[in-house]
Amino acid sequence: MSAIVFERVTKRFDNGQEALSEISVEFASGSMTFLTGHSGAGKSTFLRLLIGAETATRGRIYVDDVDISRLGARRMPWYRREVGVVFQDHNLLLEHSVFDNVALPLRINHLGEREVASRVRGALGKVELLGKEHLMPSQLSTGEQQRVGIARAVVGRPKILLADEPTGNLDPDLARSVMELFGRFNELGTTVLIASHDIALIQSLGMPTLNLAAGRIADTNGVLDGG
Amino acid sequence: MAGKSSANRGKRWPAPAFRLSDWFSDHRRAIAETFEFVSLRLGSSLFVWLLVGIALALPAALRLAQQNFVALDDGWQGQPGLTVYFTVGTEPDNVAGVQAQLRQSSSVAAIQLTDAEQALQEFMAASADSSSLTAALVRLPENPLPATLQVSVVSDASLEELGALREQLVGLDGVDEVVIERTWLELLRNLTQLVERLGLILGVLFALGAVLVTAASVRLAIESRLEELRVLSLVGATRAQIRRPFLYFGVFYGLGGAVVAAMLLAITLTAIEAPLTALLGSYDIPVHVHGFGVVFLLTLLGVGMGLGVIGALVAVRQRIRGVQEMAD
Repeated sequence: MSAIVFERVTKRFDNGQEALSEISVEFASGSMTFLTGHSGAGKSTFLRLLIGAETATRGRIYVDDVDISRLGARRMPWYRREVGVVFQDHNLLLEHSVFDNVALPLRINHLGEREVASRVRGALGKVELLGKEHLMPSQLSTGEQQRVGIARAVVGRPKILLADEPTGNLDPDLARSVMELFGRFNELGTTVLIASHDIALIQSLGMPTLNLAAGRIADTNGVLDGG
Repeated sequence: MAGKSSANRGKRWPAPAFRLSDWFSDHRRAIAETFEFVSLRLGSSLFVWLLVGIALALPAALRLAQQNFVALDDGWQGQPGLTVYFTVGTEPDNVAGVQAQLRQSSSVAAIQLTDAEQALQEFMAASADSSSLTAALVRLPENPLPATLQVSVVSDASLEELGALREQLVGLDGVDEVVIERTWLELLRNLTQLVERLGLILGVLFALGAVLVTAASVRLAIESRLEELRVLSLVGATRAQIRRPFLYFGVFYGLGGAVVAAMLLAITLTAIEAPLTALLGSYDIPVHVHGFGVVFLLTLLGVGMGLGVIGALVAVRQRIRGVQEMAD
């Protein structure tokens, strides 16, 4: 079963720039795929369409057979609760502790504080930050901040995990351990899609890749080409 | 190519089940966030309360003034009437004739005669301190004061009925002048109307001011948390969850402003009660300044809260509308 399906998706911005052109591709449920390409190839737009931060100009995007390009403002939050997102710049709330940052998706989803505490500690344990939950993000290193972002993305046990250049600010060793972390989540059944231009790291992991160039699919390696 | 045209496509994303406890927990969290935000910025919050309070205090003061005028008007309802002044030397028979005519009118409740002799005695008594005046009056060949009739009319008598009665009396033998005492009452009623309309106009303008102050303050609060709102939206917060704390800001600012307005009114009333009573007392107008009761206070709090929410809604509509779409 395909978790994510792009059907002839085009995204053209108001200034006329076409970020994605006629993209058709499928990602199987429980797969882990790297989205590669140079800057401006359309990787971030691809992910922004998937989290509903942008809407497709043409075409359809299906997640679990639901057309998310037509979700509407009311159902979009419910969909986003099933999608974990990791950003290159972490997007952490600097005035909140590590614990509160990771707990955010759970509290929004009305989980009780006992379960919140249990799950947050579990997620922080997976990213090896247990014991630092009471620190503020500014007291952490860049790598630790990135791992807090990852913990926040996975704490709600999402069906899909998206990451946009998650290793962009990390040294090679840390980048590799972050990628391995994504691999462990994928082993638990989460569909993982990672945008990255770190070709060497991706090749060393031997995962399927979808290479974008100028908004079009340039190459697929182990990915179902929907075209 | 596999699975490109699944038969299941077209499904809707499943909605989570609605639970009242979740709704209450969202509100609890929003209130807690509001308290935290306001307590961390107490100086600016006090400033907003003061601005909203001043904006609410003036129309509230006019409303209170109008209520006091109405109370004064009501207090005079038992006293309206006519005074019939006879010419000097009018025969008692003529006075009796006028009295008889008055008794036939359904508008008349009571008649009190002060004849010329009685009027002179009362005047002498009132002028006892001035020996030269009383000596001059004694030396006069005849009583210079006329007889008068104080006519009380029924409380629901209209000004038109009093006018018609006055017209009947003016033409009678011995009647010099008929004065309608309701003139003062009409003046008061006109004043009450003026205050009411002024209060309405100023009320709308100042309410607009309160809304704008609240909207600007809530907008600033939104701006300061814009990044947080983007993240909240990304992790699945609904529009209601995002905007709810800011609506509570509106409630908080509005309620605080109303409390400040009530305090300003109470201080003003305490300050003006004694001089006002003395001033009106010197015109023989019995005055008791009415403060505000529970209903007035609750109304003020309700209006303040309502204006605060409207202001917050204005800010939220302007600023939060695209947060879900601008998630970065």
